[in-house]
Amino acid sequence: MLKNLSCSSIIVLLSVTFLWAGSDPEQIQDYTKAITQVKLSVPDDPDVKAYLGIKQKSGQVMLNDIDGEIIIIEIFSIYCPYCQRHAPTANKLYQAIEEGKETRGKIKLVGIGAGNSPYEVKFFKKKYGVPFPLFDDANSAVLNSLQGIRTPTYFGIRKNGKTLSVFFTQQGPYDDAQTFLQTVLKKSGSPF
Amino acid sequence: MRTCGYFLMLAAGLIVCANMPALAASDALKDGIYQVGTLKPVDSTLKVKVGEMAPDITLRAVSGGTISIKDYRGKKNVMISFVPAAWTPVCSDQWPGYNIAQEEFERFNTVLVGITEDNIPTLYAWTKTMGTLWFPVLSDFWPHGKAASAYGVLRSDGTAERAIFIIDRQGIIRYIDVHDINSRPPLEGIINELEKLNK
Repeated sequence: MLKNLSCSSIIVLLSVTFLWAGSDPEQIQDYTKAITQVKLSVPDDPDVKAYLGIKQKSGQVMLNDIDGEIIIIEIFSIYCPYCQRHAPTANKLYQAIEEGKETRGKIKLVGIGAGNSPYEVKFFKKKYGVPFPLFDDANSAVLNSLQGIRTPTYFGIRKNGKTLSVFFTQQGPYDDAQTFLQTVLKKSGSPF
Repeated sequence: MRTCGYFLMLAAGLIVCANMPALAASDALKDGIYQVGTLKPVDSTLKVKVGEMAPDITLRAVSGGTISIKDYRGKKNVMISFVPAAWTPVCSDQWPGYNIAQEEFERFNTVLVGITEDNIPTLYAWTKTMGTLWFPVLSDFWPHGKAASAYGVLRSDGTAERAIFIIDRQGIIRYIDVHDINSRPPLEGIINELEKLNK
């Protein structure tokens, strides 16, 4: 199965600290800027690399290097009770994506453990049998770029060439994986 | 007077624990978390050392009754996790991580005991947001700070340090981490120390 990965991100060019307010478009836009500039360490696991379509052997990649038309990012923490309880449902989302003829290969699901160490993310992945790639945030770069974010938070990101655009955000867990997937698809405007 | 003291302690607790930029808050806590800025990393003087007998403490448990550390002597290792205050970000995002590591604690024949300076009703409400905890949570509220004082981790504002004490089956302190109150001790550091107990 896919192994946990190392991840780091660059801090976005934000001159002010911002906090999540859910309904504030400017603040959501700040998160959008931040999430699209996240950098991830190239995974060691060949299965993970194949899933993400990463050919680079080492170093870091950006989210726009991930193969696929849509990337769903889950910002989680192993210390978050909701993320723990929600882990089986998140696994079902991956399953639903991979079982869908129209979604397999086109939608990629990735988790980032905000502020979590490689050990902690690996522990979480093993504990809940998470089948999709989970990245750590050992130097808290992602966490710092998303200051005040609550976990879990989801981002739906559309890829157009190398350009990323966030078309969906949700704070808090979803009840049903299939319904959530349909919601994301609808919001994306994709034909599949 | 006692009621007044309670509110003063609660207020002190609320202003102590978190450094928001350091951690992501769980959505499970919604808007129930009180935010504070960066705090003095450590504000107490330890009274115990590694290799010494651990002071015995007996405290009321949220689940009812009392628990004494000495009850585990000869049977189990004990890890005491003092956290500063309920309803604050770092504290609220610490024990839930230990709660999914029960197997690891059991693998090293260790019981975990969580302690704060909050009263029982506060701890009851707060720990419910974490799901069902497998380990006991004890209140050091009254006489206030008696246990934290015994270990030298009572801060000047009446809250506890974010401190870990690992005590072996003989009652000897084997590890102490009075952590920077503004950050969370990583899980791997704890598991590594528990592993050493069996060597």
